[in-house]
Amino acid sequence: MDSMIENAGAAPVPGRKRKNDGLLRKMAKRYDLYLMLLPPLAFYLIFHYGPLYGLQIAFKNFNPAKGIIGSPWEGFGHFERFFNSYYFWRLLWNTVSINLFSLLIAFPVPILLALLVNEIKSRAYSKWLQNITYIPHFISVVVIVGILNVFLSPKTGPVNQLIEAFGGTPINFLQEAAWFKPIFIGSNIWQSMGWQSIIYIAALSGVNPQLYEAAKMDGASRLRRIWHVSLPGIMPVIVILLILDIGHFMNIGFEKILLMQNNLNLESSDVISTFVYTTGILKGEYSYTAAIGLFNSVINLMLLLLVNRFARKTSETSLW
Amino acid sequence: MRKTWGRYAFATMLVTGLIVSGCSNGGNGNSNEKGGNTGDPKSSGSAENAVKTEGFPIVDTPIKLKMFTRVAPVNGPFKDMPVFQDYEKMSNVKVDFIEAPTDGFAEKKNLLFASNELPDALYRSGLTQLETVRYGAAGQLIPLENLIDQYAPNLKSLMDQYPEIRAGITTPEGHIYAIPGIVTLGSARTDKRWINKAWLDKLGLKVPETTDELYEVLKAFRDGDPNGNGKADEIPMTARIGMPIVYQMAGAFGLDSQLGYNINVENDKVHIWSGDEQYKELLMYLNKLYKEKLIDPEIFSHTEAQYLAKQGTGNVGYFFDQTNNNFLTIQDQYVGIAPQAGPNGDRLQSQVAPVPRDYGAFAITSVNKYPEATMRWIDYFYSDEGSTLLRFGREGEHYEMKDGIPYYKEELLNVAGAQAKITPYAGGGAPHLISDKVASFINPPQVQEAYKQLEPYLPKIRYAPPLFDEATAQKVNVLRNDIDKYFEEQSTKFIVGALSFDKWDEFQSTLKKMNIADLEKLYQDAYDKMAK
Amino acid sequence: MEKSISPSNERLFDAVVYIIAAIIMVIVLYPLLFIVSASFSDPAKVLNGDVWLLPQGFNVEAYANILQNDKIWTGYGNSIMYTVIGTVINIIMTILAAYPLSRPDLPLRNGIMVLITMTMFFSGGLIPTYLLVKDLGMVDTMWALIVPGAIATYNLIVMRTYFQNSIPWELQEAAHMDGCSNWRLLVSIILPLSKPILAVMVLFYAVGHWNSFFNALIYIRDEGKYPLQLVLREILLISQSAQTDGGSVGLEKQILLSESIKFAVIIVSSLPVLVMYPFVQRHFVKGVMIGSIKG
Repeated sequence: MDSMIENAGAAPVPGRKRKNDGLLRKMAKRYDLYLMLLPPLAFYLIFHYGPLYGLQIAFKNFNPAKGIIGSPWEGFGHFERFFNSYYFWRLLWNTVSINLFSLLIAFPVPILLALLVNEIKSRAYSKWLQNITYIPHFISVVVIVGILNVFLSPKTGPVNQLIEAFGGTPINFLQEAAWFKPIFIGSNIWQSMGWQSIIYIAALSGVNPQLYEAAKMDGASRLRRIWHVSLPGIMPVIVILLILDIGHFMNIGFEKILLMQNNLNLESSDVISTFVYTTGILKGEYSYTAAIGLFNSVINLMLLLLVNRFARKTSETSLW
Repeated sequence: MRKTWGRYAFATMLVTGLIVSGCSNGGNGNSNEKGGNTGDPKSSGSAENAVKTEGFPIVDTPIKLKMFTRVAPVNGPFKDMPVFQDYEKMSNVKVDFIEAPTDGFAEKKNLLFASNELPDALYRSGLTQLETVRYGAAGQLIPLENLIDQYAPNLKSLMDQYPEIRAGITTPEGHIYAIPGIVTLGSARTDKRWINKAWLDKLGLKVPETTDELYEVLKAFRDGDPNGNGKADEIPMTARIGMPIVYQMAGAFGLDSQLGYNINVENDKVHIWSGDEQYKELLMYLNKLYKEKLIDPEIFSHTEAQYLAKQGTGNVGYFFDQTNNNFLTIQDQYVGIAPQAGPNGDRLQSQVAPVPRDYGAFAITSVNKYPEATMRWIDYFYSDEGSTLLRFGREGEHYEMKDGIPYYKEELLNVAGAQAKITPYAGGGAPHLISDKVASFINPPQVQEAYKQLEPYLPKIRYAPPLFDEATAQKVNVLRNDIDKYFEEQSTKFIVGALSFDKWDEFQSTLKKMNIADLEKLYQDAYDKMAK
Repeated sequence: MEKSISPSNERLFDAVVYIIAAIIMVIVLYPLLFIVSASFSDPAKVLNGDVWLLPQGFNVEAYANILQNDKIWTGYGNSIMYTVIGTVINIIMTILAAYPLSRPDLPLRNGIMVLITMTMFFSGGLIPTYLLVKDLGMVDTMWALIVPGAIATYNLIVMRTYFQNSIPWELQEAAHMDGCSNWRLLVSIILPLSKPILAVMVLFYAVGHWNSFFNALIYIRDEGKYPLQLVLREILLISQSAQTDGGSVGLEKQILLSESIKFAVIIVSSLPVLVMYPFVQRHFVKGVMIGSIKG
């Protein structure tokens, strides 16, 4: 890895010339590409690799007054504390299950929406659809949860009034553990399907129209054209986004969950990120938090490597 | 063609480079101006400029202090507040406030310590106990006990008068690293119990004296259509979101809240009651109320704003709040009542904050060149005179005296949000004294009356949360993280019936597994060591 | 052999597409209408759940309030500046990274990609990053909001994927044969062919800047430099604050007020980015590629 860092950013290193002769010549030939890469690589080294020494606080008892370097070592104590925590398994299950359901249910929605937009012939109508579906992205979580509260209120919410009108008994949606995940994922879909479909719509616009013409000539129906032209056209993008999503498997934004959380739905709403926030950050336990974060990252990374390898073998698209 | 492109690209890079280097230069220049926190060299400690132990100005030659502070959303800039403008002239101490909004304040505060960019003092800083012990031990905060003795006559006399102040702010090693906001006005330390008198009268009921009578009254509120609209839309009883309802009713079951935790202290014996039979009785009682829809079904999900709005509608039978500010327009409908007696005859108003109510409100750091003057500066606000200046502003302009105590002028109150712009107490946590002399607004007659109802049932002394040494504080933290979370979650479930009382044994045994006994021991030790 | 596509089938398909689209629009629109209605309603009615479609107790106080709020306007100005400058830097940096890394003939490219992807998973945390930004002298300047986030790795990967998959490698090879330098290739061939993805990137970065608040929360001290989102958060959070500390005059009034202006604030603060979309969308035009390949 070290040699990569050096070679990548700078001009060829003379001392290694004999060993990497072929490589160096190839690199020298494309020196201008490396020139382009210079600012981005400098950025990554300074702003991403530079602060990495901070990771050590996961193995230390971080004391702000003593600084990162000066804090005493703790070893794996914070990790043990987390694994032995009464809540460990519940946190793990909730984190994994919310993500899994999101991946299965929410991930395909923007793709379907993009395909739908692509099939609408009227420019004006498709513009309307895009413009409207993308608006919810800009509503802050605080307001989203506020709206959920109003809509799902057991006494005054329209949803429960509807249920009562049909003779049902009102459901206290926000206080029942079983309802937490459907509401969370459903409102996520509502909020982000339009926004996430943008990439797919852009990718679809890059698909060669001649392919559609050719398919039409062959007598392929609309559904078949979607299946054989549109989907393959955006497949690389789908695969990459899927890999990236899985790469973030363990990280769910804590803000919305935190706002929706109460002691009655904690059973299914308690996830690692909210746990980190409430017990770690709010109470200033940086080291404990860092340890949990590190555990999360390692799992994520392993998932990413796995999926990336799988993708490379099956679809020829991968991160590297 | 080719050359042109190359040149273009080169030019782009050059421009980019310029932008980047330009910005970092600009940045540097800026930080040099603002970065240095080590006090102003111009005014640095001249030996002749001695700090006076009494009278004003505090120093003859003006000095400057940098203080880090939290600004609540309702406040404006501190430099525009009359209290700091007038006090600067009076004391010859100029304070530059580094203001951080409430949102993100905790992060900024921690970063100051982590990056050692210390201000001279922290004002309205809400330091936690663990923070003060940690930064004190590391030498970033200085011990204040000697300074208090010599330069803080007001604070010292308060501490002599209320021994629980010293007990609540002194570390096991005997140091004081932070000064709290002090509340001698009992009424500002507890919520009143507001009952809908209009409904009681309409239904011909009397004020409930016991928990059983309360149950009957709430049932009547639910069924008797006291608001007369023909719909069963009354909310018999509500409270702030989550656990507060438990603590409001705990006193009726003999459960107190000493040392800032679920603790009863009897004969110098500390006992955590989280797994006790009385607590089970309390939960069963609340469960009965909840099941029968006598408690607001939204009590575990509504927001603060919704709760306040409910108070203002007059459609609630019984609720809890410190003041009547939220229902002023319909205040005649409500009266404050005494706590109810429980099934075993316990009758206690246990939801009471200690006299040193706001811990960690003010602290002095090691870079401060004038700790004596700083101590004198803050001490003024622990007198009625200083507190009046802080809370009410200028006489004639913002307030007027009636019967010897200050009242805001109508003109000020009539402008929405104007009051919170003139005082740093709005938004909470300011280091000062709240006594009956400065409380005309939060303690109007109706609230005073409501407090009188509670007074006979208050605990004799309210111990503040104890200070542990750093290692112990860390232990307490670890234990309480798990225990508190479990306790609150399960309690809520017992109340709404999501968990049956068959599981009570499991609840008890899990608390044991989480080492609640160790926690009790740590509190007992701290209590024993406490300067009482 | 040829399957014929009957026009009626075609029309049925269109009908289904239009109906589904209509349903989606209704579902998405309803809560949005609620926000608009709520912003024109009496806040107490909103809290009590009386508003469910149309404004109740119509008033425009919330908007009047916002118009008078200087903080919001300063925040507006700052946010626009940070967004424009930030996005320009983002786009340049991301292209500079994504293009070389999309070239299959770049030695060490996978190694560099691994290096970059890693940064999505490990970060040194708040404190070392803060110290770095402080040492670079960027605290309390807008550069603290722009430079540490100059490239979003996610966007970099998306852009690189687009370069790899939507621009034929043969085209680039041919250009090389013509003696075209890499810089020229990038500027005169690749970028014009990448309008859709550039448009998306501009949108993503700009909206990212517009909505971001955390860096400002940490690095900006001077209230005059606050971006709009921080101002907005203050307004929204006041209604979250659990402690009224009995008796700051009119806090409950403020809470109710902020409860009412929060919907209006959402609308006012989202307008600029909402307006942006149709302009950006224009670039998702089909056939960009074909035209240039032929020409």
